[in-house]
Amino acid sequence: MSQINRRDFIKAIAAASSASVLTIPSAHAGQTKGRVVVVGGGYGGATAAKYLRMMDGGIDVTLIEANSTYTSCPLSNEVISGERDIKTLEVGYSGLKKHGVKVVHDWVTGVDTAKKVVSTKGGQTYAYDALILSPGVEFNYAAVEGYTEELANTSLPHAWKAGAQTLMLKKQLEAMPDGGKFIIAVPPGPFRCPPGPYERAAQVALYCKTHGKAKSKILILDSNDSFSKKALFEQAWKALYDGMIEWVPGASDGKVIKVDAKTKTCFTNFGDHKGDVVNIIPPHHAGKIARDMGLATFKTHWCEVKPESMEAKAQKDIYVIGDSCIGGDLAGNFGFPKSAHMAMTQAKVAAGAIIAKINNLPLPVPFYVNTCYSVVAPDWGFSVVHVYRVENNTWVYVKEASGISPVTMPDKSPVPRLYRKVEAEYADGWLRNVLADAYS
Amino acid sequence: MRRKYTLALLACLGLSTLPALADDSTEALARTCNNCHGVNGVSAGGAMPSLGGQSETYLKHIMMEWKTGERAAASMNRLIKGYSDEQIASLAKYFAAKPWVPIAQKASADVMARGKDVTDKCETCHGATGGQPDDETTPRLNGQSALFLHLELDKYRDEAFLMTHKKMIKSARKMDEKDVGIAAKFYGNQSK
Ligand SMILES: Cc1cc2nc3c(=O)[nH]c(=O)nc-3n(C[C@H](O)[C@H](O)[C@H](O)COP(=O)(O)OP(=O)(O)OC[C@H]3O[C@@H](n4cnc5c(N)ncnc54)[C@H](O)[C@@H]3O)c2cc1C
Repeated sequence: MSQINRRDFIKAIAAASSASVLTIPSAHAGQTKGRVVVVGGGYGGATAAKYLRMMDGGIDVTLIEANSTYTSCPLSNEVISGERDIKTLEVGYSGLKKHGVKVVHDWVTGVDTAKKVVSTKGGQTYAYDALILSPGVEFNYAAVEGYTEELANTSLPHAWKAGAQTLMLKKQLEAMPDGGKFIIAVPPGPFRCPPGPYERAAQVALYCKTHGKAKSKILILDSNDSFSKKALFEQAWKALYDGMIEWVPGASDGKVIKVDAKTKTCFTNFGDHKGDVVNIIPPHHAGKIARDMGLATFKTHWCEVKPESMEAKAQKDIYVIGDSCIGGDLAGNFGFPKSAHMAMTQAKVAAGAIIAKINNLPLPVPFYVNTCYSVVAPDWGFSVVHVYRVENNTWVYVKEASGISPVTMPDKSPVPRLYRKVEAEYADGWLRNVLADAYS
Repeated sequence: MRRKYTLALLACLGLSTLPALADDSTEALARTCNNCHGVNGVSAGGAMPSLGGQSETYLKHIMMEWKTGERAAASMNRLIKGYSDEQIASLAKYFAAKPWVPIAQKASADVMARGKDVTDKCETCHGATGGQPDDETTPRLNGQSALFLHLELDKYRDEAFLMTHKKMIKSARKMDEKDVGIAAKFYGNQSK
């Protein structure tokens, strides 16, 4: 992993983006054109808050986030394998403050949609003209019998929210003997980061292969019958980690329904699997606050939104972005992937729509783009791209622009290794740039 | 020249982000590029290149080559197919109007001395620091991400990677393997 010149770039970025902060001040000093409250300072919320201020300096923006440091999930699988220091994934909120965002560290407990007021655990209230919710996901531990939040924090980390659990999983992998078994249980879709579990399997294999544990096995117990970038993953697993990774689809009894923490055993409908390390990714749904507010109109799990603005279908002036929302071409089986890149695209659409509304301007033409890299070895990466246009208030998945990296060349010859190397480097370049675009 | 200066100045003042322009679809479209290429096309590093301040001709040309499949890319060749020719043209114009912000990345004195020699032949088209392109089709290299430049040279040198610029293909393949990284670092270090 190249760590060159990070500081040189950060310095220049700060200078470049401070130039663009010089937006128009409000017409009357001390008065504001509108108040926007953003809940959640992950990729979605941070991007929305920054872009609102960049687009119109006359808007008052308050970001409410529980924690003072955010840890990026993207590329956190490399922390588990030891390829990356978790510090490269951590970011604070000083960059947003420089854009004039008021950052509050507190937990939002409720929203009065009639009075348009947000209230927090700390006893504060914040009035809004527009509210953006980007609360990520809430885990449904009860869906796997025997699994609890406490177990996740103490012995069976899901590490599906990066931070302490990521480091715990790394420690457990390091303690695993050669010939040990590492189980990854994948929940039914849609879940956060569709290629994430399979990238994790590769990173675990990479660690084992390079640390004298090549006899170890990674068992993926999947609730689903297929997965993102499947052909690319299977090709790489075979080329790099032959025989180490086994995938059991839902149709072959892969769905884990129960776990016994003491014996580290995963139970499926008809079988049981004992592991040395057990990594249960529990099913999840929209962030608690969004569900409490009744915005999760899609099977009570996810929040439906309007394509042109990201405004919640269930509530005027409330915009739901990031992992909590659902959108895209659901009928065609091309829903929005739950990714950081997508959350940022949605944030920019929501911010543009809110600024237009406050300034009585026509809505900007929305355009949704996602790029998601997976890294299976330091010099082997690949990606999936999604592009959506909005036509007649509906998302149209642009097939010719979307899809995965080539599995073979058009004449069926192997893909030159340079393609894979370049994309592994792009993954790191992508991370640096999305962190800067959201937080600097 | 005068117009270019005015546009660059406007961009510096952040006037392109006026609320009055919030409905400008190019502005909204460009925000989709910012994720990877930075606000105003100034990259935060790694292998992602800066775009702001490259010439309109160069930007449009390379995007169209990816779109038509004439030139290979790892991911941009897919993504770009989602943009119409008109959108590509307006994005090229948008980023060309931004100032070029070179980011001088560290390089040792040895690398810089050797770099000057090995880039001798590049000078005709790119200028002494890579910042004086001789025409509108030539990109700026000064203060561009060194890792990006290195990977681009690798692409030009790899026969299996479809590239289009004959002269660049020839020059890159003539280079000594060990000089590729040196040339990239040499340009990455330039502040002007
Ligand atoms: C292992 C892994 C790898 C991944 N890799 C990639 C990748 O390579 N590329 C990619 O694009 N995506 C990737 N993702 C997905 C990405 O992490 C998510 O899609 C993204 O974080 C979603 O952003 P968000 O803003 O919706 O939620 P989050 O990033 O989860 O942020 C939500 C924030 O809201 C705060 N919050 C929630 N409720 C409240 C409340 N009531 N009050 C105050 N604060 C609150 C939380 O503290 C949190 O900081 C990966 C995910 C995982 C798990």
